[in-house]
Amino acid sequence: MDLITGLLQTSLLAGGVLALAALGEVLAERVGVVNLGVEGLMSLGAITAIATVVAHPNPALGFALALGVGLFAGMIFAVATVYIRANQVLCGLALTLMGTGLSATIGKAYSGMPAPATFAPVAVPYLSKIPVIGPAVFSQNVLIYLIYIILPLALHYLMFRTRHGLNLRAVGEDPAAADAAGIPVQRIRFWYVAAGSALASGAGAYLTLAFVPSWSEGVIAGRGWIAVALVIFGGYRPLNAVMVALLFGLITSLGFVGQARNWPIAAPILSMLPYLGTIALIIVPVLAWHKMRRLMAAPASLGLPYFRDVR
Amino acid sequence: MIDLRNLSRRGFLNLGVAAGAGLMMPGGLIRPALAAAKPLAPVAEKDAVIAFGHTGPVTDEGWTWSHDQGMKAVQQAFPKLKTIFVESIPYSADASRTFRQFVSEGANMVFATSNYGDFLYDVAKRSPNVAFFECDGRHPMDNLGTYYVAHWYPTYVTGIAAGLMSKTGKLGYVASFPVPSVYSGTNAFLMGARSVNPNATLQAIAINSWFDPQAATQAGTALLDNGCDLLFGIMDEAGYLQVAEKRGAKAVMWNTDIRRYGPKGYISSIVVDFKKFYVEQVRQRLAGTWVPSTPILAMGAGVDRDAWGETVPEEVRKQADAARDKILGGWSPFTGEIKDSKGAVRVAAGKTMTEEELYNWNWSIEGVKGL
Repeated sequence: MDLITGLLQTSLLAGGVLALAALGEVLAERVGVVNLGVEGLMSLGAITAIATVVAHPNPALGFALALGVGLFAGMIFAVATVYIRANQVLCGLALTLMGTGLSATIGKAYSGMPAPATFAPVAVPYLSKIPVIGPAVFSQNVLIYLIYIILPLALHYLMFRTRHGLNLRAVGEDPAAADAAGIPVQRIRFWYVAAGSALASGAGAYLTLAFVPSWSEGVIAGRGWIAVALVIFGGYRPLNAVMVALLFGLITSLGFVGQARNWPIAAPILSMLPYLGTIALIIVPVLAWHKMRRLMAAPASLGLPYFRDVR
Repeated sequence: MIDLRNLSRRGFLNLGVAAGAGLMMPGGLIRPALAAAKPLAPVAEKDAVIAFGHTGPVTDEGWTWSHDQGMKAVQQAFPKLKTIFVESIPYSADASRTFRQFVSEGANMVFATSNYGDFLYDVAKRSPNVAFFECDGRHPMDNLGTYYVAHWYPTYVTGIAAGLMSKTGKLGYVASFPVPSVYSGTNAFLMGARSVNPNATLQAIAINSWFDPQAATQAGTALLDNGCDLLFGIMDEAGYLQVAEKRGAKAVMWNTDIRRYGPKGYISSIVVDFKKFYVEQVRQRLAGTWVPSTPILAMGAGVDRDAWGETVPEEVRKQADAARDKILGGWSPFTGEIKDSKGAVRVAAGKTMTEEELYNWNWSIEGVKGL
């Protein structure tokens, strides 16, 4: 019992970073923009959150400001990629370099400081009493509920159940056709990329406010890149992306538990598990069933800037 | 052919050195006696440039921070000379470029505060008039010395405190890679603990990084979830101390005093201090008496336990410090009979391991699991 509860609890915590960042990336990629700046945005969010709670010990404020900083950085990126139509890959890499560099510079003053305020776990009445699952799933901090339940459901509804969602998917599939139908392609791209960046930055804030409560240079340690990959595995769908992130968190934790319980498997193999598991559980079904391939396909215009005059 | 267990603390990524390190294996002269190298010519203090190349950021509050404190001590002792440093140097050809840059900026002495292996040797060979020092290096040359700390002694001392304070007798260890520093850490810690609780065991988790707060947090949590109630490790940050604090467990740390991350969980830390060593080496370089050496800084002269944490009982402090005094008086706890994790006797009864053997320890003692 304890084993499963503990495992589930850390999986949710560890997967949360990836899930939130992946949700942000889903937003950007669904409207046709590859944002490789996730790693940088997460760093910015992480340092913003710490700097805020050091000045004013309120984790919600730290999270909100991190979202704001991410939104702003995302707007710069969106101006460059959507309106100026610069190369998305290069702009994304530039955003990563800028984000990690800037946060390292600002972070010099904050390194070696434990976060003075963090998101405390909140037990949901009744639900947290369910054996095994209750303590793991319903006694977490508020961000966990936001990341795993509220946001993905809201985004799924928005994307697949509303007219606006149809429009935004059209922008990612065929901007020329969407344009002809009167959809403001560039405006939609701009705002979704900016909002996605805000979520990526929020993922960094989640990390320093709820998971590893302190700042140190390099604290993101490549999780931004994994989030980008998880979006592909998740078929560019919010619910799937969150599930894949949780799966990744689960297998990572399983690797650690395996080492802690001294399972007779070599440690390097256990460290490989998240990657092997992702391949086995995500890629194999896609290869096996033809229909899956179509369902999990990338938006057709992903990565292509839209020029109205050359359509 | 490449024996990963013999890679040194930081040089794990540097597989280029692996072949060399592998060949230098057991029995052989691991640190060949240096040929009587001629001292380098003296340098006037105002003309001198002393360079430091670091593996991490100087703000890491850990390994690199300690070396940076050493550099600041040098600057203070010799205010007229110039110090330069580069942080977060990757283990790649970029490292060679950085060290070459130091030389072309007129550096008279270059400290690499981690094991850069071949990336450093190339530069050292071409710059015979520059003094080089490589931390945790294994290949001294005519103008290149190596240095490290005998961290196994303070680790043994904190291990005694751990053995006395752990209720379950199950200790957890957040490891980086299976390298000698990790083996000597886990082994010394458990030997200390077993000297007071013969049933103590140690479970290690390797996270494949020196610095990954998220992975260290997960590893620490997994260890506590599975019966350990006291954590030790070799991380450059405080991740698992924060886990221990939150869960009401205890932790022993590395590098610096970071009790503020978990004042109740903090037992002590293996603190390193390179100030005296750096100042002395720079003094010799300026005076024109510097020749390469291969010191392993002893306990009390570069490495020690930190002041005990607030929750460490008086009785525990006394017992651990008694062992510390004995070690300072010349006693070695690393005396046979010592069995490895498979039960084979590796150090015969009455035989004491040499500093060389401790520095290159590459097998687990009985009771260590997971490496």
